[in-house]
Amino acid sequence: MSKLRLPLFITRHVVFALLIGGFAGIGFVLFLTEFDHLTSTETFCTTCHSMELVAEPYRQSSHYRPASGVRASCGDCHVSEGVFAATWDHFIGGKDLFNQIFGPEYDDPVINALHLPDAAFAARDWFKQRDSATCKRCHVKEAIYGTRPDTVLIHTEDAKEKSCIECHYNLVHRAVPDKAVFKRDKWNRMIEEEFGLSPGEADILLGGE
Amino acid sequence: MLDLQSLGRTGQWALLALLIWFGLASSAMAEKVKLDPSNWGLEEGKECVSCHKKSSAALTHEWQNSAHAEAGVNCLDCHLADQVDNDAIEHEGAIIATIVTPKDCGRCHDKEFKETEGSVHAKALSMIKNRLPALADNLSGKEMVAAGCAQCHGSKVEVRGDGTLTPETWPNTGIGRINPDGSLGSCSACHGRHSFSKAQARDPSACTWCHTGPDSPDDEVYASSKHGMLYEANRSKMNLEADQWVLGKDYSAAPTCVTCHMGSTPGVKGSHDVGMRDAWSLNRPISEQQYLVIFEDGDRRELPDSQPAPRRGSELSKLDGTMGKVKAVASPKRRRQVMTKVCLECHGKNFVNSYMKQFDNVVKLYNEKFGKPAQAIMSALYEKKLLTPAPFDEPIEFSFWRLWHDEGTAARHGAAMMSPNYASWEGMHKVGQNFYGEFLPQLRQLAGEETANELIEMHVTSLDQHSWLNNPGKPNPILGYGIGKESHE
Repeated sequence: MSKLRLPLFITRHVVFALLIGGFAGIGFVLFLTEFDHLTSTETFCTTCHSMELVAEPYRQSSHYRPASGVRASCGDCHVSEGVFAATWDHFIGGKDLFNQIFGPEYDDPVINALHLPDAAFAARDWFKQRDSATCKRCHVKEAIYGTRPDTVLIHTEDAKEKSCIECHYNLVHRAVPDKAVFKRDKWNRMIEEEFGLSPGEADILLGGE
Repeated sequence: MLDLQSLGRTGQWALLALLIWFGLASSAMAEKVKLDPSNWGLEEGKECVSCHKKSSAALTHEWQNSAHAEAGVNCLDCHLADQVDNDAIEHEGAIIATIVTPKDCGRCHDKEFKETEGSVHAKALSMIKNRLPALADNLSGKEMVAAGCAQCHGSKVEVRGDGTLTPETWPNTGIGRINPDGSLGSCSACHGRHSFSKAQARDPSACTWCHTGPDSPDDEVYASSKHGMLYEANRSKMNLEADQWVLGKDYSAAPTCVTCHMGSTPGVKGSHDVGMRDAWSLNRPISEQQYLVIFEDGDRRELPDSQPAPRRGSELSKLDGTMGKVKAVASPKRRRQVMTKVCLECHGKNFVNSYMKQFDNVVKLYNEKFGKPAQAIMSALYEKKLLTPAPFDEPIEFSFWRLWHDEGTAARHGAAMMSPNYASWEGMHKVGQNFYGEFLPQLRQLAGEETANELIEMHVTSLDQHSWLNNPGKPNPILGYGIGKESHE
């Protein structure tokens, strides 16, 4: 029986350091997992009032109250799968927190509605870049049967090369036109009318950042 | 026959203008598209079909059987929009608009677009602008504009800031619709989507969708006329699917709405300007014969015969309020001549002229005996402050409205299109019933004996046509007075 010989440089201190480092690493990953999980919840997201404003239409949508009873929370759609990707998304998303504190008054429903299109465009790009990965957590193209006989055919034949987000947008939050046809001027006029502002006020609110 | 001397200066100008106008208009009504086929059949548009065959199979099926499909015109050719259009939306990768406006159709159907754009049809919404406050805001309710008025007259389609169309103004295929691109009208008011069948548009039902009911009973009038009777019995002989549809060449069994109001007849060019051949205004409190003024830019408007005819080249306000330069003026006489020419395809000249005389007589009777006196009395009541200016808060206001808008219109349209029942029982009989049985008694109640008598004497009994009221003693066996005696004893 030969005795296991550790290399000479593995001293007692090194063993302790490795053990502590290892546990700390495991702890850190566990922390990140928990952190990503907690920071993906509706409760966490809506601690900012501005998010409460976008959560209102979400709560009326079929992603909040589907017939199946499977509810998608904020992070299910907006945070990637996997601890590293999720952490990265949260890291990038940190700029929203920065803007919430130092940026425009997003808690104000008018400011919020005026900025909403830019948020929608960014979110759509995000989905496109990831080939609608978070949609696919729950939805499997081949398994979409729908209630009309041709729904399955449309998804298997016509939507073959397409990503979910290309057709399915404006499902959850307030509807915003596609970037290609969006007209800032018309949007501002609509928001002014909606909130009883005088014409041109929206532009001042937007420009005064 | 047409005598240049008798036409006078204006008439000669009008005739010349009409000749030029007709010369410019091309031969067949549904004109062949002159545009090169390379202008349609967009490659991206072919992809729409595959999905829409599944998602909206019936609609796609209609298109598949259409002349459009046959010619290779696909979804995107009509629905394609420009990014900057107010109502442009992104749809599965394409930028489209839901509403296909006459301007869009006019990319290929240029002649039809120009003809409809200046026509009374295209102005159907602006023409009732003054009626809407009383009828919708007061009498029925604003909700009725979308469900009622605007369905025929058209809505002013409103596009929200997010590109969606407001449910208050859309869906709508009213013929005077004001479209997001500024164009007027809706081709699918008459040409049902998405088959755009010639036969369907030539069928009277295309018109009677709106031209029905108390204020415009043309469906009922036509159905109870000799023309309608013949159409019903001979529908299979009407050759409705034919490419060209000229009366006397391609069909002869019966005239439809299209035949007389816009169709082609040898010597008369077809036109999508549907009111062009109407000499009278028949839907007003008092009918007047109308000039048709044609502007340089192709726009048109009518002017009552009582006003002097505008000179060629002079400036005249258009219906949208802007000024236009007069290019030509068609007199009521000339308009009647065009209509008459259609009749002559089947009837003799004497027959037609005498028939027109009967029709004119009814219109004049209505005007002189009922329309003018009733309107004069109403004006006096408002002037004397016996009525509040608010519309429809007094019984007599309803009576007067019904007198001209419903019953008077039924009588005049009935006479115009040979329905004895509508000219008489549904028309002038009811006018009389209303005038003597409701309008005058309401006037007496409202104005008091003295004022009422004064007004009745001034506007009613002084007229020969009402003089029987001054002589009430004659036997009246149909109602039970003087039974056994002759009514004129």
